[in-house]
Amino acid sequence: MARLFDFPGGVYPPERKARSAQSPLRRAPLPAQVVLPLRQHSGRPATPCVSLGDNVHTGSLIAKRDGLISADVHATVSGTVSHVDGDTIVIGSDGQDTRQNLPPLDWRATDASVLLTRLDESGVVGLGGAGFPTHIKARVIERHAIDTLVINAAECEPYITADDLTLRCYPSEVLEGAQLIASLCGAQQIVIGIEDNKPEAIAALKRAISQSQPASVTLTIIPTRYPSGSERQLIKKLLNRTVPSQGLPADVGVLCHNPGTLLAALYAVRDGQPLIERIVTLSGEAIAQPGNYWVRLGTSIETLLEQLGLDNARLSCVIKGGPMMGTALETLNTPITKTTNCLIAATHEELPPVPMESPCIRCGACESVCPAQLLPQQLHWYARAQEDDKLERYHLFDCIECGACSYVCPSHIPLVGDYRESKSRLRHNKIEAAKAEHAKHRFEFRQARLAREEAEKQARRQARLAHNKPTDGNASNESNSAPPVDLRSLRIAQTAAKAAVRKAEKILARAAQQEPQQSHEDLETLLATAQENLKAADLQLAQARESAKAPTAEDTP
Amino acid sequence: MSDTFSLWGIVSAIGILTGLGVGFGALLGAVSERFKGDEHPLVDQIDALLPQTQCGQCGFPGCRPYAEAINEGDALNKCPPGGEATIHALADLLGREPEPLDGDAPSEAKVAFIREAECIGCTKCIQACPVDAIVGAAKQMHTVIEDECTGCDLCVDPCPVDCIDMLPRSTPLSQWQPIVSPAHSVIASDRIPATVHQQPGG
Repeated sequence: MARLFDFPGGVYPPERKARSAQSPLRRAPLPAQVVLPLRQHSGRPATPCVSLGDNVHTGSLIAKRDGLISADVHATVSGTVSHVDGDTIVIGSDGQDTRQNLPPLDWRATDASVLLTRLDESGVVGLGGAGFPTHIKARVIERHAIDTLVINAAECEPYITADDLTLRCYPSEVLEGAQLIASLCGAQQIVIGIEDNKPEAIAALKRAISQSQPASVTLTIIPTRYPSGSERQLIKKLLNRTVPSQGLPADVGVLCHNPGTLLAALYAVRDGQPLIERIVTLSGEAIAQPGNYWVRLGTSIETLLEQLGLDNARLSCVIKGGPMMGTALETLNTPITKTTNCLIAATHEELPPVPMESPCIRCGACESVCPAQLLPQQLHWYARAQEDDKLERYHLFDCIECGACSYVCPSHIPLVGDYRESKSRLRHNKIEAAKAEHAKHRFEFRQARLAREEAEKQARRQARLAHNKPTDGNASNESNSAPPVDLRSLRIAQTAAKAAVRKAEKILARAAQQEPQQSHEDLETLLATAQENLKAADLQLAQARESAKAPTAEDTP
Repeated sequence: MSDTFSLWGIVSAIGILTGLGVGFGALLGAVSERFKGDEHPLVDQIDALLPQTQCGQCGFPGCRPYAEAINEGDALNKCPPGGEATIHALADLLGREPEPLDGDAPSEAKVAFIREAECIGCTKCIQACPVDAIVGAAKQMHTVIEDECTGCDLCVDPCPVDCIDMLPRSTPLSQWQPIVSPAHSVIASDRIPATVHQQPGG
């Protein structure tokens, strides 16, 4: 076993995994209707490519990705499209479940670009919770050198056992998926990080590891501690590499994947099956048949829980995700999405409501458990006072929202709630500032355009005058000598405008080289403004030269 | 002893110091002339705090001219779209006293919307738009690019058929802001009434 390193902080909440981990993996009944949100991933929502009344098969493409950071959405049952709008597509099932899969591929004998396209077409995203499109993560080799693929099987949140069951039931498939991703991103070694509370999954992996080729696979068992399943903390623990602030694991040569994602990637390539279902943990005291289920995406949470024996009398709330980081659902009339890994139907005794918040007593308990080494207490004060510059200076954006601080807070302050709110406010302010900057550039461009048009008009007028009265020396002399022209300052203005154009070109070229995928509309506006200014300066200078020449030519005789 | 007070010592010291002073002065002067910025940095800073709606409600043709005027000593409170927040930011930057806003702050962000059936294609709004956010041609229908519109109102007045409305700006789901709960009570004895107040209709 490899050497273990350590990350700071962490807590030991009750695990409560036994209830769902004991029963075997089952398949939830086929839903009568699925509601598929167009944004089940991080990035932009997909664009629908079916219309009302279309017949679709299970696996048919129904919404195409929009832009680079986005993912395709596929039909998860066969039937008829009964509703399409900007947010969701609803499909009524015909009960047949006829499949429309892509052709199977042998990844070892297929070109990388074909495999990347397949991942893209299959709508595979990170199933751990963030939902980042997998095909972009696999393309990381274009920008970073990756040496290690980490399989994040820590699953540190209480209740959740989806990855545990995935590894117990499909250990060789997960490893095969890992080999596929490792070959795409150029990683030479695969490291599995798994907490010691999953003995059956560990045994299954140990059996499967010996057959896994060609990258070497290391199984590292780590002690159970929350939040060891967080990407940064796991990388620190397994490899002793620190992901930089605001950076990505790729910056330290690591790519992190969830076992479920690797399984979905393998199915997409080997079987040609797009992402249409996932393993979801259904747990909590208010449910009669807890366990892990293969659930079609888009299944209504309400129907699903009722099919599995939901005791409405005892139910206090349903939590989507884990108890530490998840959110309590306001309504059960919402679908399972690509990122739903767990549903907890909790009773009142199981997860009692949080007591009334008390003032912060500055005990510092939150600081000792923060795995990101932040100062939660300071952040709390600044968040409440909306001191945005201080929040940024105290690295609010390095907060992983694990909830360890809220968990230990003796005053029951919803610290993570404050941080989320502040993060969203700061992001909003940034968007507004960017919008204002954009409006300013458009305004400047318009001013420059008007100035250029004015200069052109002047030039045309002068040309007309010169053409109409070539012999009338006195009149032209009068009109020309009226405005005193300063050739030197105009020449300086023209040189400055030229320099501004060159500078804008350089900035645009550099930005286009560094971030070729981004839109550089704003920089293009700046360049256009500089070009307009240059044109206006050129015209003015030419005009001044003309008028300077004309009188001297007439003065000499 | 005699060395310390010798005339030569004093003169040479004064001479060396004067020489150094003149030398460095000349160097600093040359450098400041050589690397002189062509823009006024304070105007840029003021401009960066203004909301860039280019609406002209301050009486200047755009935000930059107003920034220049503020730098010359004009009042800080002439920007309704920026509201109190902008006045305070400007007062902080310039070390002046914040004044109450001259005018009504808009309640929410708005954008112009052209009722296209009524548009006669006069192009007057296109000419009025400070950020080129309206597309259209003479005797053709015009429309507003919502993403580019700053909600400045300048297109509303020139429209001869009054077909432009100012509507609330639509917010994409990704920019949704959580509803911030009212400030928490600080003193323990305040708590029970505070919970009563938070009940709907209470």
